[in-house]
Amino acid sequence: MKFQDYYETLGVARTATQDEIKQSYRKLARKYHPDVSKEAGAEERFKQVGEAFAVLKDPEKRAAYDQMGSQWKSGQDFTPPPDWNSGFEFNDGNYGGDQSEFFESLFGRQARGGQRQQRRSANMNFKGQDHHAKIMIDLNDSFQGAKRSISLQMPTYDANGNLVAQERKLDVTIPKGIRAGQNLRLTGQGGPGMGEGGAGDLYLEIAFHPHPLYRVDGRDIYMDLPLTPWEAALGASVTIPTPDGPVAMNIPANSSGGRKLRLKGRGIPGKEAGDLYAVLTITLPPADSEAHKEAYSNFAKAFDFNPRA
Amino acid sequence: MVQTNITIFQTSVVEEEVHMTMVELCQAASTPADEIMSWVAEGVLSPAGSSPEDWRFSGNSLRRARLAASLTQDLELNTPGVALALDLLEEIAELRARMHRSNLL
Repeated sequence: MKFQDYYETLGVARTATQDEIKQSYRKLARKYHPDVSKEAGAEERFKQVGEAFAVLKDPEKRAAYDQMGSQWKSGQDFTPPPDWNSGFEFNDGNYGGDQSEFFESLFGRQARGGQRQQRRSANMNFKGQDHHAKIMIDLNDSFQGAKRSISLQMPTYDANGNLVAQERKLDVTIPKGIRAGQNLRLTGQGGPGMGEGGAGDLYLEIAFHPHPLYRVDGRDIYMDLPLTPWEAALGASVTIPTPDGPVAMNIPANSSGGRKLRLKGRGIPGKEAGDLYAVLTITLPPADSEAHKEAYSNFAKAFDFNPRA
Repeated sequence: MVQTNITIFQTSVVEEEVHMTMVELCQAASTPADEIMSWVAEGVLSPAGSSPEDWRFSGNSLRRARLAASLTQDLELNTPGVALALDLLEEIAELRARMHRSNLL
């Protein structure tokens, strides 16, 4: 197990006041909040920062943590000394995230959920909690519709009340025309209910694997279409690969780079199908032989053209 | 690790096929009703219908409500702060989409 330097995580001195700790936590929480931050690894950092704050904001936990001494560095192999926490009493709230092994060995495993957790009562009926998960699919799955087998891990309580990970495999039908950011609802596949309450629902948020060719924006799809200068100037008919298969497209004469040509209804299918946009890029062949250089010279002579004029 | 296999045929696309009542949205976003009502008052959510009992939330409300709930809980934002954050996040998403379309991201 690796030691975690909670002061380092929050970027504060070991002598920091509660106000300084809170201030630093707030700043880092905003910076790394997974719904706000686009930084790689933000979610991981957010959890670490939350865990560090959960310990340092609590005077008892902080005192117990401090007692282990300041000789430890983050990432060092660590085993808690026996009776390290004797004399301290933790009255535990909940922390809204997954804790590190380090945290669990010191303060015990905490149930997830905080204020969002439902109170359990013996003679009442409650619908089970709704669960949310994200799944990644291929763009092609949305064009064709698909059956995908996914496996999800969910924390559940076993007969002894311990929190255990339960793995479930679900065969899910991906409807044709689904878009990134949309949710699929699987009725009754969420958490188990109490009494007559019935199970909660499971929501799966859809995201697409990045595609080497296509960029997806809602229903629409964008792709770069490289052209030679003469195709762009004279017009041409080119074959472009759409997700539905190759399509012939007419390039009008005097097309400039950056121009978007629309193929109506060739985006993500549906009642209102999206469009496919070919974004023209003009690629110049290199002048790497005498013949090519001469062609460029002739080109220059034929035009009285100054783009900076 | 306990394993179970389940086959599902019934799925619905929330954003297109689902409208939620107040009770359903509270459940799906794990959020108390008074919090949802404060978001409606602030314009974060715009249900159809005139009173909380007949409110119908579009499927898109689920995403917004969950985002509002996570910002409220994790960053301790108040209601106007949540409303502002959601508007700004939406604007950033639109700008990012525009860059993405032109292959600038």
